[in-house]
Amino acid sequence: MVDMNPLKPLQPMPLSMMQYFRESYIVQGWLVLMLCFFFGGTLSGVQLKLNPIIEENKANETKQRIPELLLGPSEAQQPLDLKLHTIEVEKKGRKVFYNVYEARFADGKLAGWVTKAVGQGYADRIELLLGLDPNAEKITGVFILDQKETPGLGNKIVTEKWRSQFAGKETKQLLTVVKGGVKADHQIDAISGATISSKSVTAIINTAVNDLKGKLRG
Amino acid sequence: MENKQQTDSVPAEAGSVIHVAPSPHLSDTALTTQRMMMDVLIALAPVVGMALYVFQWYAVHQLVICVASCFAAESLFTTMRGKPITLKDYSAAVTGVILAMSLPGTAPWYVGVIASFVAIGIGKVIFGGIGMNIFNPAMVGRAFVMIAFASALGATGYEDALSKIDAITQATPLTAFKQNGIVAPLADLFWGSTNGSLGETSALACIIGGLYLCIRRTASWEIPAGVILISAVIGEIQCLVNPQAGWTVLHHLCGGALLFGAFFIATDPVTSPLTPKGKFIFGIGVGAFIMLLRLFSGYPEGVMFAVLLMNGVTPLINRWTIPRPLGSAK
Amino acid sequence: MAEQPTASERFIQGILPENPVYRQVLGLCPTLAVTNGMKPAMTMAGAVLFVLVCSNIITSLIRGLLKPHLRIIVFTLTIATFVTIADRFLAAFMYDMSKALGPYIPLIIVNCIIICRCEVCASKQGVFTAASDAVGQSLGYALALSSIAIVREVLGTGMIFGYRVLPEAWPDWSIMILPPGAFLTLGLLMGTVNWFSERK
Repeated sequence: MVDMNPLKPLQPMPLSMMQYFRESYIVQGWLVLMLCFFFGGTLSGVQLKLNPIIEENKANETKQRIPELLLGPSEAQQPLDLKLHTIEVEKKGRKVFYNVYEARFADGKLAGWVTKAVGQGYADRIELLLGLDPNAEKITGVFILDQKETPGLGNKIVTEKWRSQFAGKETKQLLTVVKGGVKADHQIDAISGATISSKSVTAIINTAVNDLKGKLRG
Repeated sequence: MENKQQTDSVPAEAGSVIHVAPSPHLSDTALTTQRMMMDVLIALAPVVGMALYVFQWYAVHQLVICVASCFAAESLFTTMRGKPITLKDYSAAVTGVILAMSLPGTAPWYVGVIASFVAIGIGKVIFGGIGMNIFNPAMVGRAFVMIAFASALGATGYEDALSKIDAITQATPLTAFKQNGIVAPLADLFWGSTNGSLGETSALACIIGGLYLCIRRTASWEIPAGVILISAVIGEIQCLVNPQAGWTVLHHLCGGALLFGAFFIATDPVTSPLTPKGKFIFGIGVGAFIMLLRLFSGYPEGVMFAVLLMNGVTPLINRWTIPRPLGSAK
Repeated sequence: MAEQPTASERFIQGILPENPVYRQVLGLCPTLAVTNGMKPAMTMAGAVLFVLVCSNIITSLIRGLLKPHLRIIVFTLTIATFVTIADRFLAAFMYDMSKALGPYIPLIIVNCIIICRCEVCASKQGVFTAASDAVGQSLGYALALSSIAIVREVLGTGMIFGYRVLPEAWPDWSIMILPPGAFLTLGLLMGTVNWFSERK
């Protein structure tokens, strides 16, 4: 049969094998792929080498504070054996977890407990460490790990002068914040101009003490 | 000035011809910056007088520092920009006095100095001098020191238990109410024997000065009207929701810097909208922000931030309220 | 194509005439965020120096192999790798600083200064030129950061690098170490730089 229509529409030329190969994503991206392998290898090496140090840094951040929190600054050099417990507290149908360090002297005697507590401050979350004596009857110290309170006012909660008020307070009664001088044992003097920040820290401590009291046994 | 020159240049024989000049058509050639500023200073007199009476040396001290620093800052910064010194229009004096009246008497000297330099430098000259600024200069200065020296200008900065002046030994009425629920007697708020920023304590003095400004048309009545109206409405709602607190609408109006802000700060013609409708919207905005900050923020008072916020939206209000020429398409 | 600047020209340009912050107005987010003290500012500048030099050198080495439509992905990959390395090193050896800088070290990945140098210089010129360009730009960045940080730290705390330079009686201008202080200082300093260069 004779082809009556010699003018055929143009068909795309079939790609030769070579061209097809060159257009493929794999070949286009060979450099990217190579770099991925190379960089990925480098990064995993770095991670393997440095991760233990970073993890240790993170743990130390808390651990270094513990002797001072429990024994006071004068005896902070004494080495303590630390053991981490996770204590679960049931609250209004919701579970709250506390990371509590159990600290013992070299001879095995219990030195006290240190727990991490978190709560809302005036500006953002406040994260702090709270030290309790072996029977959880007295607060031995407070250290603020992280806060973003107003500079010049609320951020005075990190000062030694203000924090040291908490040391020695008994846990059987809730702490209250007062302005202009402490009159009773369970009172905490507010930072002038930063009553809310002062109250937030005290509230975090009250909550933590209440949650943990009775759960800490040597 | 320009208008005057144009009138002078018209030849004498053309006296009978109606003279047509390009806008602005200033109907009253006496309406100069200088006269307006003098008006504001006169209107501030009762406020300043009351501050001197209640706070005595504290007020003198703060006034001298702020006005002197504002003059110094004005001459320094305008010289730096290579412009003729514009001390004669009294705008620096007005900024200085308003700034002093908005600071606590107990603030240390450097607070006044820094606030004045920031007010004139960052608040005004950097934008191109008087008439060009977006934000009220005095409030820019105050906001700067308020954040910089939080302890000197926070609620406790106002109190000095050892002061010889009774007012200063107490907490400001708004702080006392916010923190301890103590309601100050209305008469004290009205006459001005309470603690607070120097110029804000006496509602009476603010009203006298404010009415003078409105009658002289130096300030537009729409702005204070808007502020007071919306504050009264929100105050009344708050009263209905929480009547046992005892803080009534009149407490809201007379307490704190609401009246001082409404009459003297928000009415700055440079930083408020141009049209009457726009001015009213501006006043409503300022009043609403004041009440919002008073009721829901950590600060006891919100006049400064309210005015600055509304200054920021002034260009927008101006755009919304362009008057439509008669006969133009809708 | 126009003549490319030489290595020494690239180096000089980076410091002032084409300062990344004051002239190109690039990388402002970290500039505003980390300049509340000299220590974080200098750590940041150091991290940028490391990342910029490494990624410029790598980019310059492989510039012959780059395909135009895949170049940005290669740049990003290179930069991300070195940023991660810098971040891990800081976390391992300067833990406090790494905590203080927070997300701003990982955010160097999206810092436009670096991708700009890869694109403008390293992908077109030799290794030596690319390296000197990187050092020049980093010094310019360090200069900008330190000029802002010094104003903010001195006014805000009365200290430099944590050492007291002003008397104890100095009232700390807290606003300077807060975000508004960063904007004000950057604006005023940029104005000053422009003012001086215009008078020349």
